Amino acid sequence: MNFSVVATEFPSLLLQGLALGLIYALVSLGYTMVYGVLRLINFANSEVFMIGTFATLYVQVNILGFTNTSEPIRGFRLVYSLALCLVVSMLVSALVAVLVELVAYRRLRAKGANRLASLISAIGVSIVLMEWVGLLTGSRPRSGARLMEKSSLFEIGGANFRVDTVLAIVLPVIIFLVLNRFVTKTRLGKSIRAVSMSEENSKLMGININRVITLTFIIGGLTTGAAAFLFMTVYENTTFTIGFNMGIAAFTAAVLGGIGNLRGAFYGGIALGLLEQFASAIIGSEWKAVTVFVVLVLVLLFKPNGLFGEAVQQTRT
Amino acid sequence: MSKFLNFNLRDFGAGIWSGWNRPTRVIFVLLCIAVSGLLPFAAEFGPTSFLNTPVASYIDVLVYPIGMFVLMALGLNIVVGKSGLLDLGYIAFFAIGAYTHAVLSTLYGWNAWESLPVGMFFAMISGVVLGLPALRLRGDYLAIITLGFGEIVRIVALNIEITGGPNGIPGIPNPPGFFGVEFNLEYSRNFYYIVLVLILLTIWMIRRFTVRRPGRAWEAIRQDEDVAELMGVNTLVYKLWSFVIGAAVGGAAGVIFASKVMVISPDMFKFEVSILILACVVFGGIGNIWGVILGAGLLAYIPERIRFLTETRQLVFGLVLIIMMNIRPDGLLPRKKREKITQKGSK
Amino acid sequence: MNKKIVSGFAIAAAATLAFGAVATAPANAAAKTEVTLAFQGPLSGPYAGLGKDQRPGAEYAIALYNAKNPKVKVVMIDADTECSGTKAATVAPGVAANKKVIGVIGTSCSGEARNSFPAYKSAGLTMVAPSASAVDLTNPKAKSNGFPVFHRVLVNDAIQGPALARWAAKGVTAPKYFLIDDQSTYGEPLIKTGVTPTAKKLGTIVGTDSVAQGTTDFSSVVSKVKSSGATVVIYGGYDADAAPLFKQLRDGGYKGVLAGGDGVLTSEFPGFAGAAAADVRLTAGSTPFDTILTKDELANFTKITGVKTPGLYSDTAFAATNVFLQCITEGATTRPAIQRCVNNGTFAQANGDKFKFNRYGDPTVAGAVGGYIVKGGKIEFSAVA
Repeated sequence: MNFSVVATEFPSLLLQGLALGLIYALVSLGYTMVYGVLRLINFANSEVFMIGTFATLYVQVNILGFTNTSEPIRGFRLVYSLALCLVVSMLVSALVAVLVELVAYRRLRAKGANRLASLISAIGVSIVLMEWVGLLTGSRPRSGARLMEKSSLFEIGGANFRVDTVLAIVLPVIIFLVLNRFVTKTRLGKSIRAVSMSEENSKLMGININRVITLTFIIGGLTTGAAAFLFMTVYENTTFTIGFNMGIAAFTAAVLGGIGNLRGAFYGGIALGLLEQFASAIIGSEWKAVTVFVVLVLVLLFKPNGLFGEAVQQTRT
Repeated sequence: MSKFLNFNLRDFGAGIWSGWNRPTRVIFVLLCIAVSGLLPFAAEFGPTSFLNTPVASYIDVLVYPIGMFVLMALGLNIVVGKSGLLDLGYIAFFAIGAYTHAVLSTLYGWNAWESLPVGMFFAMISGVVLGLPALRLRGDYLAIITLGFGEIVRIVALNIEITGGPNGIPGIPNPPGFFGVEFNLEYSRNFYYIVLVLILLTIWMIRRFTVRRPGRAWEAIRQDEDVAELMGVNTLVYKLWSFVIGAAVGGAAGVIFASKVMVISPDMFKFEVSILILACVVFGGIGNIWGVILGAGLLAYIPERIRFLTETRQLVFGLVLIIMMNIRPDGLLPRKKREKITQKGSK
Repeated sequence: MNKKIVSGFAIAAAATLAFGAVATAPANAAAKTEVTLAFQGPLSGPYAGLGKDQRPGAEYAIALYNAKNPKVKVVMIDADTECSGTKAATVAPGVAANKKVIGVIGTSCSGEARNSFPAYKSAGLTMVAPSASAVDLTNPKAKSNGFPVFHRVLVNDAIQGPALARWAAKGVTAPKYFLIDDQSTYGEPLIKTGVTPTAKKLGTIVGTDSVAQGTTDFSSVVSKVKSSGATVVIYGGYDADAAPLFKQLRDGGYKGVLAGGDGVLTSEFPGFAGAAAADVRLTAGSTPFDTILTKDELANFTKITGVKTPGLYSDTAFAATNVFLQCITEGATTRPAIQRCVNNGTFAQANGDKFKFNRYGDPTVAGAVGGYIVKGGKIEFSAVA
């Protein structure tokens, strides 16, 4: 136990936890959106994230021509480069997510197969994607380029608001606001909510279920891609196994907040980020995962549907 | 077309089985056991030598992963298949069994036969400790909690003194022999027979349970928990039972595993193994003993058989999972049709 | 019917994949005087990078040997263990049962070594490891030692650890250490049994942390390092994790010394860590292979192995393979002969240093651990640490 860290570094831990948590939140949308409509844990979402980081890397290195030794850029060129990375990462991730749905879920769903069957085929897709990238990269990690000078914007009580940290906080919040509006206000968004409430009734109302499901995978892929871009901007390196830890964390965040709804993913992500930061600062990084799971169990004991969960319909295997 | 794809080999087999009289059944069962008993010799025997595994030693592969996976898949099947609870941390019970034996044998000089019941006991206790809070939750919440539990066991083993940290515990003795049957590296075959005996015992136990009250209660819970509760089934108790019995099987497998490999370390008990064993259950056919055995046997065997493909092996394995699940979503040998009817609505 | 046929094909294809190679696997037994060495290490799975870095070193050594000495040909087979003790427990008996194998280049990881010993000991199969550096493997008192089959060409953690503690604190008055390990079988013992005692002698340890391999966010570690007022941070782990850690420490405003062991010492590391690699202090019994090779040799290496920059421990894999090749040149082509030869002969490290193996398999002359420093994106040898 080491409380002196918290005494001196509290604002900094808070800020870092928030930034990390919001990246988790974006990835956990990939789980929560799919869970909302399909009642399935999309195990391949971690690999969507992994592909997203490599897509960002590809744009940085092969299209924009940056290497990990090149000078940081500024001004309009920086904004344009970052935007290109973000857009490509989001699009590629969405494409992969749609492919995952086609390969792992579509056929099985058409057959009315049991939920665990799709779980296993998703795990198969996950293995294939991971090993494929492993083959391409020789199983070595890859380092991204540092596009921008990570200079400090301002500091509050020792918490250093760096450019990348601020970006990692602002972008997810924007994405959530847009997404929330989309889901509550637009026709397509409403159809997603309808399907997640009752598939049968939605069918009766003339909603094309397959289209809605593809849409949720696309949205999950887009947000996961945005998270991958932020991850590469903040941490600047990736490897073919990067999805695994991120996947578990994001899934935990989704459950912690209450899987199946947007707010749950958002707050669950933040809660998890803060929890990880303070657990590893106070108890030690080796007990981080244990602390997270113990808290998760406690939360679920008292709030069985997660912190912000609405009553999820009964599900079985 | 779909008639062929959905052809239910299990029902076909059950049809033949019910047509037999008792002596024929006994002969058939004995024949099956005899064939499994002869498996270790298959690699040396001409016509079946294609079964031999390149690089890895065939007989050792028969013990782990094949034998152990079959055993663990049967144990997990009680949880996932019989009572319909999704457990993503089954490896934890295996780890608890293995570490129990490792600690008891290296510190207190117990042998494997003595620690076998203790290992099972600890696994069962941990099953209760995990199950009591977790089983109140439904479906996927249970999944994440069991996943977390599996990771917690591994991380604790990684971080505390008595388990030796990341290096694990070396110098675990092989089980002592009896009646002239030796258990050591030169007689790996005998480990296979231990596992085989455990598998047969597990099958026997599951069959006993299935036809009695617990089996019916599990079936009721799997089909509709609320209705089961309403009909007076104490769902929590029966769910807990399935959890604890599954845990005991995992614990037993762990004890034998530790005494076979002689050195255990936390990286043997990763999340991937839990997933793999779950895949065995689903791949073979959830809820059906024979399907689970076939699935576990195949999924444990295929990676070893294609070990000559060093870099693309996992890729091929992933493809096999995708293709097979798409072709036969209910597994190789699905459970009885009778049990399947109610699944339609629940996807 | 269509789908039925398609699925039939799929099963047939899977079956051919699975069983078709039976014929090919044992088929190449034709050559007259041919001996086999097994390379044991992770070639698939999450740790594949470690094995894929080492294997080219062995491949290169064997290619050089076969090019000039056609009398006894050497072939190498892969024994992929995924760095897992579980897998090693089935793979090692298989390798031991393969009578053509006369030596094992490996293992890559210390964990799998422990699970391989029972099989290799009973088969009398000699191992020369490029990177398994855990102390207990050659400790006669440990239950998990590999006597008499295990040998390694790199220094163990009990020698490297203290050297790392000294080298990291060189020129720092009253160093305040912050020690971080990666919870692996390599990193944790290096820090806890190797570095810690010496660090206590030389200065004070103001903090420790253990961060699991594969972690990318180290911000809480950064906070701890900063609040502890450490002046020397030592990381026990591999380059892939060291790079983000060092980057985040520098970005977080840490100004003191950064140091790591041979797991960090790769030619790729300065690239991974970018500006944060500057002045990082490293120690190793292993040296980046491309700094040893001449330009032509490096080109040849790339031609043979298809690898542009030799990775971590490729030099020790090269040296380990050469131990066997030298013995084969001297006429040892059976397992007992190899064991005698390896136990008694004098061999060369990748950089030409001569060494012998002591009774328990450690190299005798590798006592001097090199101290390196990263300057201008290159790792430079600085002094004996």
